[in-house]
Amino acid sequence: MKKIGLKVKDFFLGILEFIKKIWQHPKGKIGLIFICFLFVLAIFAPIIAPYNPYDVTERAAKGLSPSWEHLLGTTITTGQDIFSMLIYGTRVSLLVGLITGIAIAFLGAILGIIAGYIGGMADNLIMRIVDVMLVIPTLPLTIVITNLFGKSYFIIVLIFVVFGWTGLARVIRSLVLVLKNSNYVKAAELAGASRWHIMTKHILPGVSHLLIMNTALTCAGIMVAEAGLSFLGLGDPTAISWGKMLADAQSGGALLFGHWWWIIAPGIGIFIAVFSFMRIGLVMEEILNPRMKASSNIFKLFKTLNNTYIQEVFDKMDENSLNDEVAKGEI
Amino acid sequence: MKKSFVIKRIIYAIFIFFVVLTLNFFIPRLGVDDPAERYYPPQGNMSEIEYEIVKQVTREQYGFDVSTFEQYINYVEGLFNFDLGVSFQSGNPRVVDLIAERLPWTLVLSVSNLVISLCIGLVFGTIAAWKRGRWQDTTLLNLSTISVALPAFFIALILSFYFGFELELFPAYTNPNMVSNFDWSFEAIKVVLYNAALPIISMSIGGIIGYAQRTRNSVIAVTNEDFILTARAKGLSQRRVLFKHTLRNAMLPIVTAVGMSLSGLIGGAVVIEQIFNWNGMGTLFLEANNTNDYPLMMGIMLFMSTIAILANLLVELTYSLLDPRITVGEKR
Repeated sequence: MKKIGLKVKDFFLGILEFIKKIWQHPKGKIGLIFICFLFVLAIFAPIIAPYNPYDVTERAAKGLSPSWEHLLGTTITTGQDIFSMLIYGTRVSLLVGLITGIAIAFLGAILGIIAGYIGGMADNLIMRIVDVMLVIPTLPLTIVITNLFGKSYFIIVLIFVVFGWTGLARVIRSLVLVLKNSNYVKAAELAGASRWHIMTKHILPGVSHLLIMNTALTCAGIMVAEAGLSFLGLGDPTAISWGKMLADAQSGGALLFGHWWWIIAPGIGIFIAVFSFMRIGLVMEEILNPRMKASSNIFKLFKTLNNTYIQEVFDKMDENSLNDEVAKGEI
Repeated sequence: MKKSFVIKRIIYAIFIFFVVLTLNFFIPRLGVDDPAERYYPPQGNMSEIEYEIVKQVTREQYGFDVSTFEQYINYVEGLFNFDLGVSFQSGNPRVVDLIAERLPWTLVLSVSNLVISLCIGLVFGTIAAWKRGRWQDTTLLNLSTISVALPAFFIALILSFYFGFELELFPAYTNPNMVSNFDWSFEAIKVVLYNAALPIISMSIGGIIGYAQRTRNSVIAVTNEDFILTARAKGLSQRRVLFKHTLRNAMLPIVTAVGMSLSGLIGGAVVIEQIFNWNGMGTLFLEANNTNDYPLMMGIMLFMSTIAILANLLVELTYSLLDPRITVGEKR
């Protein structure tokens, strides 16, 4: 028992240490502040929001312009307070983003490590599933499935997870393939360590930096995707989300009557949430993997994915160009 | 390029196609006990027996009267004649015809988006890499974080608000006569461009920045390679090193990115099409969904997956063409 207690304590101390590092990073501060701010908004939404955003009975207060009473005015159709809706919208975005991001990290890590380390049949099977997943059009399938099983955020998260792990699993797999041939893993194998031991104690720590960074970036991506689905009306029709606010604004005539604040507000909400998660993701990456500081992460992901191939191409082209020059007598 | 490698890849693509085909066929049927009931919901003024007869007629009309497996066989057989079945829409148009009718309109948006993003992105990216660390570069870096956080449909809404409703420069909703009156005359093409301006701009803002960022990173990565140093050391001019050595080698990630984006050509603009009321594949799919038009939905999904499979195949073959040593499949 004592040992477990110690482990938990270490775990939380480790997280605190990590957050401190992000805070000290020049780019991380603003992202961290924004994320804390969003979490506070999401958790204390009923206390912070001045009105009940679900209240659609304010017939007298329809389509008001921003004022001190209604900071962002009210909706034209139902007279809901837009500022309160904006605050409540944080909940859906953060919840969907975080749950999906963490679930994808788990699934991607497990399947990627299995495919990379065990190889053989398991690798073949997982990679074939990835190939199929990659070509199925996600948005139409989401539309079909929500049509069949009802519109809810549970279904949306499920679809995001089922279709989201493929990219991560690929990246993890290619990194594991590199680690597998490293000396310390070979040494552990020779020492007679079990596969499970090697996968959890040697491989997992080796890919953890990629996982943590990827989770933050996936969260950001999923938030945008969730807003898009809600905009199409595929989210829970009773919940308030930023995407749905945009859809309401469009169908409710915000464009026609010039109520620009009704469109800008949820857009800024999406922007802040996605931006801060991306910032944190990039900063985490710089902290965890200082070697890769120079270029942006998207390319890095790509490069890890195709590292071997690109390297070979570069090498080959290097040889080629040199040979050409030699042949032309330029050297 | 090895012939056996190409053949292997093609056979594998066909295998994937059949897996996807099967999934496409069965997933929309998962929760449906009786397609006839979905198509023709119970009416209040109809007795049980009458409703049974109506359902029976519907089943026979659409081929639902045989077992699911036989329906599947029929569907696959139909595919060989490019027959995706008939839609539930009034008049029962063939699914293939409906897709063929809408496809060009989606391609107008997505192809021009791809071309614009790629061309401008390449130029911007090269400039940023050239002026590495100066204001051009930092601007691009900041823009790329911002553009990911601003979804295209939000940009589309803002554009349609400002240019469509406030300034009334461009139409905020597509003119429905555009499609029916199109006759390849100069006037008609002008109308299409006028209507397509806002959707294309809102789609390509993110695309331009994305390709620019990719190009910039790729160019810088190549610049750090030893062979560029060699070229510089030989005394070649900056310009020559950039265009002959760096850019050519930096194209590989870009080619992959373009290939990958090909699969999004058909289904990538659903939300944008919906905002501007553009009569493309996306709106067709949403219409099909609203009317429970399963044959049409299945047809569109299969079409999109096929394009994606072909795009993936193209990327793989291009890879092996760029370097014959990379026989990607055998490396696995």
